[in-house]
Amino acid sequence: MASVNAQMEERYQGNTPAAAPIPKQPLPTAKCVDTQSVLKRLQSELMALMMSGDSGISAFPEEDNIFCWKGTITGSKETVFEGTEYKLSLAFPNDYPFKPPKVKFETACFHPNVDVYGNICLDILQDKWSSAYDVRTILLSIQSLLGEPNTSSPLNTQAAHLWSNQEEYRKMVEKLYKPPIA
Amino acid sequence: MADATAAVCNLAILEALSGDAVQEISESYVGFCAATESLLSGIGDLSAGSEMARHVHRLCKYQLHSLVWEHFLTSLEENFERNGAVKFWQHFEPYRDISISEVDRSHVCDDQIQEVLCKALEEISLENQYQKKCLLVLVDALQTYKDQVLPAKCGAVTKKEFLLSKYQLMISSVLMASLPRHFPEILRWYFKERLEELSATMAGESTDHFDSQENDEMDVDGNNRMPSESSRMDIDGGLHGDFSENKLIKNIGKVVSDLRGIGFISMAEDAYASAIFLLLKAKVNDLAGDDFRSSVLDSIKEWIQAVPLHFLHALLSFLGDSFSYERSSDIKSPLASRPLSCYPGSDNLSEGLVRWQLRLEYFAYETLQDLRIGKLFEIIVDYPESTPAIEDLKRCLEYTGQHSKLVESFISALRYRLLTAGASTNDILHQYVSTIKALRTIDPAGIFLEAVGEPIREYLRGRKDTIKCIVTMLTDGTGGNPNGTGNASDSLLEELNREEENQENGAVEDNFNTDDKQAWIAAACWEPDPVEADPLKGSRSHRKVDILGMIVGIIGSKDQLVNEYRVMLAEKLLNKSDYDIDSEIRTLELLKIHFGESSMQKCEIMLNDLIDSKRTNSNIKATIGQASQTSTVSEDSGNSLDILDATIISSNFWPPIQEEVFNLPGPVDQLLSDYSRRYTEIKTPRKLQWKKNLGIVKLELQFEDREVHFMVAPVHAAIIMQFQEQKSWNSKKLAAVMGLPIDVLNRKINFWIIKGIIAETMDQEGEGHIYTLLEGSGDSTKNGGDGGSCEELLAVDDEGEGSVASVEDQLRKEMTIYEKFIMGMLTNFGSMALDRIHNTLKMFCVADPTYDKSLQQLQSFLSGLVSEERLDFKDGVYYLKK
Repeated sequence: MASVNAQMEERYQGNTPAAAPIPKQPLPTAKCVDTQSVLKRLQSELMALMMSGDSGISAFPEEDNIFCWKGTITGSKETVFEGTEYKLSLAFPNDYPFKPPKVKFETACFHPNVDVYGNICLDILQDKWSSAYDVRTILLSIQSLLGEPNTSSPLNTQAAHLWSNQEEYRKMVEKLYKPPIA
Repeated sequence: MADATAAVCNLAILEALSGDAVQEISESYVGFCAATESLLSGIGDLSAGSEMARHVHRLCKYQLHSLVWEHFLTSLEENFERNGAVKFWQHFEPYRDISISEVDRSHVCDDQIQEVLCKALEEISLENQYQKKCLLVLVDALQTYKDQVLPAKCGAVTKKEFLLSKYQLMISSVLMASLPRHFPEILRWYFKERLEELSATMAGESTDHFDSQENDEMDVDGNNRMPSESSRMDIDGGLHGDFSENKLIKNIGKVVSDLRGIGFISMAEDAYASAIFLLLKAKVNDLAGDDFRSSVLDSIKEWIQAVPLHFLHALLSFLGDSFSYERSSDIKSPLASRPLSCYPGSDNLSEGLVRWQLRLEYFAYETLQDLRIGKLFEIIVDYPESTPAIEDLKRCLEYTGQHSKLVESFISALRYRLLTAGASTNDILHQYVSTIKALRTIDPAGIFLEAVGEPIREYLRGRKDTIKCIVTMLTDGTGGNPNGTGNASDSLLEELNREEENQENGAVEDNFNTDDKQAWIAAACWEPDPVEADPLKGSRSHRKVDILGMIVGIIGSKDQLVNEYRVMLAEKLLNKSDYDIDSEIRTLELLKIHFGESSMQKCEIMLNDLIDSKRTNSNIKATIGQASQTSTVSEDSGNSLDILDATIISSNFWPPIQEEVFNLPGPVDQLLSDYSRRYTEIKTPRKLQWKKNLGIVKLELQFEDREVHFMVAPVHAAIIMQFQEQKSWNSKKLAAVMGLPIDVLNRKINFWIIKGIIAETMDQEGEGHIYTLLEGSGDSTKNGGDGGSCEELLAVDDEGEGSVASVEDQLRKEMTIYEKFIMGMLTNFGSMALDRIHNTLKMFCVADPTYDKSLQQLQSFLSGLVSEERLDFKDGVYYLKK
């Protein structure tokens, strides 16, 4: 699966240089078509997400812009994040799904791989991105990241240090948790 | 004191005077004072006048005019204060306390007060008159001196007027200064009594019936009515009416003019005005009452003409004609001999009277209007009967222009009395329609209707059964209004149509007659829209109140209404045992007029299905005849095929039909397949798919001792047919034979248990129920008592399930897809308003099932979710229920 996706990405990347020598005129139309397909893709992702019925993850486009979504993740059971709810923002680039969306925490999250600005350090959102991923898988990955942080390359060192002591960590999460305002 | 002032004033002149002159002045001044004294104290005796005149002349010689009249006026004032005012007020002293408690006053001392008032006024007038005479003596004296000295008379008249007015002022100020607080009250009350008396006399003049009615009313009210009045009225009534009325007015006139004489003009006017208004108000209340079936405005106006205006007219003319008292005795009221009818035309209607009339009429209009507005809700409840009251109100409002009062009051009445959970949707709708009709009379432009209707519409939108009720009301006059009055057989739609035809006819006539003159008349009658009108809604001529439009406006779109109608129509058609659809065709035609051909297309196809079915059915029946001739094999089933009528529907155009699977008894099933085989023969590529649960079965159950007829649903018939062979069934076995789930069977068989055909017992082994056919007519059974052939019509099933999926169910089903979207967006955005949810769905739900619901549909769906406690609704936004 992953290999197929990698190929797709390669092919895409291979295409771009080929397109470069072409005079600039047709480029906007190409882009326009692209936008259409991105729209379609996002719409079908939304439909899939709505129909999937996964518990604890959800996302929806903002009122007038399908490229900007709001997401919601609840902490999985039996992790220190149980009972918490985090808001996310997802910004999709124009060449989605060939580039990953920019995902950030909107609510403060005390987590080794999330910095104070809400930036997330997750490989599939950076170099390991593949166009086979979609909103649903991103949200599921982030949800599981909450319970299984990667403490070896932390953005929040304090959290990384504290992770070993789950009880203390839970207290810290509770102390810093602010339930999102509607 | 007078001396001192005189001395100071004339200081300069004094120096120029000789000793003799001083002597003369002082002598004549003393003489003048003495003469004044004797003149004022001498009762009715003016003999001191000549003596005084002499002194006056002498004083005037020395330019002492002002001294003379100032002293005279002061003496007059002192005298009046001493003799007149104190005595006058003493008359009323006994009534000081009585005037406070209004209740007892009337019965105890009406006559007394009247007497005392007249007497006191007479006395004070006499005193006043006498003093005036004295003043005139002085004026004469001054005058004669002036005539001697200066022949020119120019200043004389003004001097006299000046003195008289000065005197008047003095009198009234003395009285006013010592006015006891209860006096105006006494006056007001006096006028009230007199007016009532007058009104009673007037009533006595009219027919006996009216007379007695009036009497009754007054008795009931107990309105300060004195015991002697009725007897007097009886005596004076009829022939003596004119006379007594004349006398009465004269009496009142006397009192008023006496009051005027002592300067109580405004007080007297206040008193009788308030008395008149009080009486008018009571009269309006009396006449209007709670009966909305007759117009009272005209009788009120008549009454105004007859009583208060008559009174005022008499009073004003009396006062005008008879300012001097000498003539008052022989004055004849010009009205006494005159019939009332020519009254308004008479040219001696003074400007004051016209003003009074306008005032009174306005007051009457306003009172009646307030009364009617307060009861508008009740009036509209009995609308068609209460039309006269509405007309009255309309005229009142045209006069007073207080439409906004109506709107406010009516809206609050609506909210309080109609728009509550207790009122059924039908009632609200009927009130709404009545409101439209009633207010259309008052306000043809529909501006106030707009304001009044909005709360009702708003409320109805929140109710689930609104659409259903509207459709029922529109199409089915009897069903819509079970306890309705009026012609229940007509549907609202018929009524609307009739009205429209009338309107159109009217319009046509208008067009025919249009010429320049007509156009000019039309232009002359043009009236601007009321100020409250919404300029966006077009001008009056373009705005016609459209009842149907306003009803459809409740729902939001006609499509929903049409859809609901389709479901109801389907239900109705499927339950028909004959193919008689005349009334439905008529309704459909009417609906087409209002909603357009295209939107009613599906319904039309449904009706055509029925017509086609009828034809096909008879064709198939015809083949039976041929078949029975050719082959004897199918004769057995052919005979029974006669009893089967099929309704063949094009299911694409019908609303989704509820499926229920069960096994029909063998013979019937055989019959159905035989029928469909014949159908296929006639219409070759087509095949019939039976909806076995739909339709109606006419049953005749034969027992040992009786016959019972029923019209039931097929499933009930199938059940009872199983008992033909086997009298008793175990519920499980029966369910298996029927192909029904056991709980459904139990529910269905209840029908027969209730009818007393089947008895239910518990199985010994606990294996469910045992159903047994009751063969004999058990004494306890309800049908046995009727003694056999009673026909029971099957109403809708107990569970109330129809054969067609209801509109709500359809909507529900379609909406479940969007439900997930709604949940999704609410999870991420927290709270959203209806509009935003609607727009978001429109924007993002573009894939497979495109979102195409109206705002109202979404709203009703959301409120469904709220009632299921999945959503919360607060302050206009929806939340997820946590």
